[in-house]
Amino acid sequence: MDNVLLLFLIVPLIAGILALLIPKKVRGPVEVIVLSATGLNLLLAAVFFKSNLAYFCPWVPAIGLDFSLRFYHFSAFIILATAAFGFLIALYSTVSLSDKTYAKHFFAYFLITIGLVNGAVLSDNLLLLLFFWEGMLVTLFLMIAVGNKSAFKTAAKALIIVGITDLCLMVGIVLTGHLAGTRTISGINLPLDALGGLAFVFLMIGAISKAGSMPFHSWIPDAALDAPLPFMAFLPGALEKLVGIYLLSRISLDLFQLHPGSWVSTMLMIVGAVTIILAVMMALVQKDYKRLLSYHAISQVGYMVLGIGTAIPIGIIGGLFHMINNAMYKSCLFLTGGAVEKQAGTTDLEKLGGLGLKMPITFACFIVAAVSISGVPPFNGFFSKELIYDSALERNLIFYLVAVIGSFFTAASFLKLGHAAFLGKLRDEHRNVKEAPPLMLVPMIIIALGCIVFGIYNKLPIHALIQPILSPERLEGHQFAGWPANTALVVITIIVLAGAFLNHRFGVKKKGSGLKAVDHIHYAPVLHIIYDKAEKRFFDPYNIGLKIINIISEIAWRCDRAIDWVYDTLVVKVTYACTNQIRKAHTGNYATYLVWSLVGFLLIAVFLLQSGKM
Amino acid sequence: MTSLLILIPLFSVMVLNLPSRTMMRRFAFWLSLILAASQVCLAAFFGTDLWNNANISGSFFQFNLAVDNLSRVMLFSIGIVVLAAILAGRELIKDENRQFNFTNLMLLILAGMNGVVTTVDVFSLYVFMEITAVASFVLISLQKDRDALEASFKYIIFSALASVMMLAAIALLLMVSGETGFPGISHALSNLPTSRLTLLAVSIFICGLFIKGGAMPFHGWLPDAYSAAPAPVSILLAGIVTKTLGIYTLIRIVGFVLSPNYALNNILLLVGTISIVAGALAALGQKDLKRMLSYSSISQVGYIIIGLGCGTPLGIFGAIFHLFNHSIFKSLLFTNSAAVESRTNTRNMEELGGLAERMPCTGTTSIIGFLSAAGIPPLSGFWSKIIIVVALWQAGFHAYSAIAVMAGAITLAYFLSMQRRVFFGKIKEELKSTKEANFNLLLPALLLAAITVGAGILFPFVHDTFITSFFK
Repeated sequence: MDNVLLLFLIVPLIAGILALLIPKKVRGPVEVIVLSATGLNLLLAAVFFKSNLAYFCPWVPAIGLDFSLRFYHFSAFIILATAAFGFLIALYSTVSLSDKTYAKHFFAYFLITIGLVNGAVLSDNLLLLLFFWEGMLVTLFLMIAVGNKSAFKTAAKALIIVGITDLCLMVGIVLTGHLAGTRTISGINLPLDALGGLAFVFLMIGAISKAGSMPFHSWIPDAALDAPLPFMAFLPGALEKLVGIYLLSRISLDLFQLHPGSWVSTMLMIVGAVTIILAVMMALVQKDYKRLLSYHAISQVGYMVLGIGTAIPIGIIGGLFHMINNAMYKSCLFLTGGAVEKQAGTTDLEKLGGLGLKMPITFACFIVAAVSISGVPPFNGFFSKELIYDSALERNLIFYLVAVIGSFFTAASFLKLGHAAFLGKLRDEHRNVKEAPPLMLVPMIIIALGCIVFGIYNKLPIHALIQPILSPERLEGHQFAGWPANTALVVITIIVLAGAFLNHRFGVKKKGSGLKAVDHIHYAPVLHIIYDKAEKRFFDPYNIGLKIINIISEIAWRCDRAIDWVYDTLVVKVTYACTNQIRKAHTGNYATYLVWSLVGFLLIAVFLLQSGKM
Repeated sequence: MTSLLILIPLFSVMVLNLPSRTMMRRFAFWLSLILAASQVCLAAFFGTDLWNNANISGSFFQFNLAVDNLSRVMLFSIGIVVLAAILAGRELIKDENRQFNFTNLMLLILAGMNGVVTTVDVFSLYVFMEITAVASFVLISLQKDRDALEASFKYIIFSALASVMMLAAIALLLMVSGETGFPGISHALSNLPTSRLTLLAVSIFICGLFIKGGAMPFHGWLPDAYSAAPAPVSILLAGIVTKTLGIYTLIRIVGFVLSPNYALNNILLLVGTISIVAGALAALGQKDLKRMLSYSSISQVGYIIIGLGCGTPLGIFGAIFHLFNHSIFKSLLFTNSAAVESRTNTRNMEELGGLAERMPCTGTTSIIGFLSAAGIPPLSGFWSKIIIVVALWQAGFHAYSAIAVMAGAITLAYFLSMQRRVFFGKIKEELKSTKEANFNLLLPALLLAAITVGAGILFPFVHDTFITSFFK
């Protein structure tokens, strides 16, 4: 019975390899394989959802590496979510990638990624986890690289950033295994002392970088432009958030004893808050559909990290609830972006407008997802954000303020995006734009409906999926489902949202266009300087790192030239100058030679006699 | 027994030149070959005990002879180089009469060098050196061409100067100590207070030896003599004659007879370093293959002298070991140059190129020879150089040690340039018909290369057999 766990790995991996083996010209079978494999995966996850399974097989006992999988309520939740998103996005991609030559490779890597994610979520051994984690790095690279021409550079950027943080994860895993004396995840529970804190930080870097938090985010906006669109909906939109936040909550809840008020908790909250505010400020001024969304993909991670970082039950529940909500509305948003791109041929907001009437279903899905991400009641984003606000306020007012301000800008930027893309004047070249094909619409509609259900009937996800993750002792009988307990916070949220709407009206009136609705913020004094530099990737840690490395390599190169010059020029010249002098001195005249000998003799005799003793 | 080393070659020369010499000519080559080969075997396989028991010399001569480990190493080197030279001579000296003279002179020079390395008396030492030197003059000018005669003349002048200096020094030492035997002089010098007379004697003596050994700046005769001499004679001169006359004697006198002297060691270090650096730099600028090897010889002699100059037992051992290695690899390189010259009729490296293709055996043994000279492991030259460098470092002469290491780079540079210009690269059109050298030149080359490789790989054996005996 427990062997069934292997199916979660075998089905997608075998299907992925099969998809790679099928000749390029044959199109049909690849789609069949993708749909049946993701469908089977979803079916498996649904059937076994309530079970508690474990699989154990010793692999390399010498280094403590066992092939050990554990399927319980938390991993089952993530597996189910992954499988659902995987299936929907596969459905969507069969249409959206139908005219792309790289579709076969994309689907193969897509399936392998699902297999690796399943493996990473199921593993109950730190080294096994690392094995799958590093595998995901490879498919991440490959999936970006199949995109357009500049995709390879972006793929390399992602590989370097994620690769470095994966190295941190590796260090953290080794350190944790050393401290705990075991590499079995379910058997580890360490205090956060000095070394433990260090191990936590290393593991955390690996986890939040996978989730796309700052400062490990900078490849995501680039990938939004270069990678195939389903990739964005699939990995940065949904799956990476799921596994990244899954790992973060595993290390905060199980592996280490994270207490409110510890420095690690504060550090997590700071990372979360900074990510929220900086990424949303960047999202606000983007002029491209996909790039704007990608900054939100970063910003939303901040809420999750902030929620889990509070280390109090309400925050952790809020963070995890936000994780699943975000995966839903973010992938839905990316899918609407893909539909727009496919039908209108561009995602540049300058060239879009008035598509709402031409693509009404897409627009409706967009509205649902946008109000969800903005936290408008009674959609799902509202409830998870309220939980996070509550916990942030309990820890410190400043974190609450940052979260609320982030919310303000989120709403403002989606008002701008919706206005620019779907409202306003329809362009002439878009007269003949039609609604997206049904196979693309179905996933969007399902996810959008999910947003509504998870909002109005939030008892379902919170009770069935999220509350079991925390032990009953930690919950202390609190209930987090239903309408938020703190009415004052709800009122403030509504005021903030109303403020965002008024701000939008003000901006539109001032500039006369939805796209320019936030220009008064963009070009505000001081801010526009910072924005300019940010747009030029001045603050991109990757670019800063590149610059530093360039400087180092420049210095190294100059040193190398200098050393080269010494060897190739100086030494040779000096040597040959000496050689020529010596050759000139040897005239062949033996009288000269005799004189040398006699002078040598005299010098030696004088020296020896001067020294005076034998 | 030891005296036989001198007496047998001498009697052989007499017998060969009896009235029936036309008949003896045929045997001359084989006789000399067997003598040299048996000397190699005896020196290699029997310890010093064999030589020193049953000393029958006393009844015939007043020579006082003894063989220690240093002499044994030298006897082996002398035997092997003479063997190589005799084989090369059979190949390269075509004229029958001249060949017979060459063989006679080889026997004479063998007797002389054996005497030099076995005697324990300064005056006998002088006599044997003169025998060797006179035979060398004739050998250099064997071809009677202009260059050879000029070179021979230069050598005579310098050798005469050296002889005068040594005679004077021997006379002064006799005045001071009243003896000419090594033990007597050593005893007298260590007990008597140091006088200016002794110091003068020592300085004259070592300058004479520097001239004989060709250290800079006493080397003026050497490049001409080595390069103008017939090829077999070059092998002999560069390989062993000047090393025996100058360097062996220097080691014997400074290392075993004189008491340790800081000022003298400084002189040796300085002269050695000048020889190493200037010799190597001069070698770098040569176009003539044999001239380049001659300057390289000066440079390598410098290593031996600084090894001696550091004054420690390890340094002296390094010097002796390098002396041995040098006689092997330098004879090898001169044999190779003889092979090249015999096939292409030129020694100008500019006119050569790509010969490894046509002369694979010569090219390969040449690589072994120069790598050993440049001190590349695991060849024997590496061990002797590293011992010298380590000894210098341990004795506190860090700067000299560093110079010795860096000069190794120049050594490698000129040898690589030689190898590239002569053997590597594309073969020149006019050299396409070149054939590999004859057996008589290949045999010594292979033999010497084998010794170089063997002594390098079996260094632990060399270490256990010799180093320990020197440190007793």
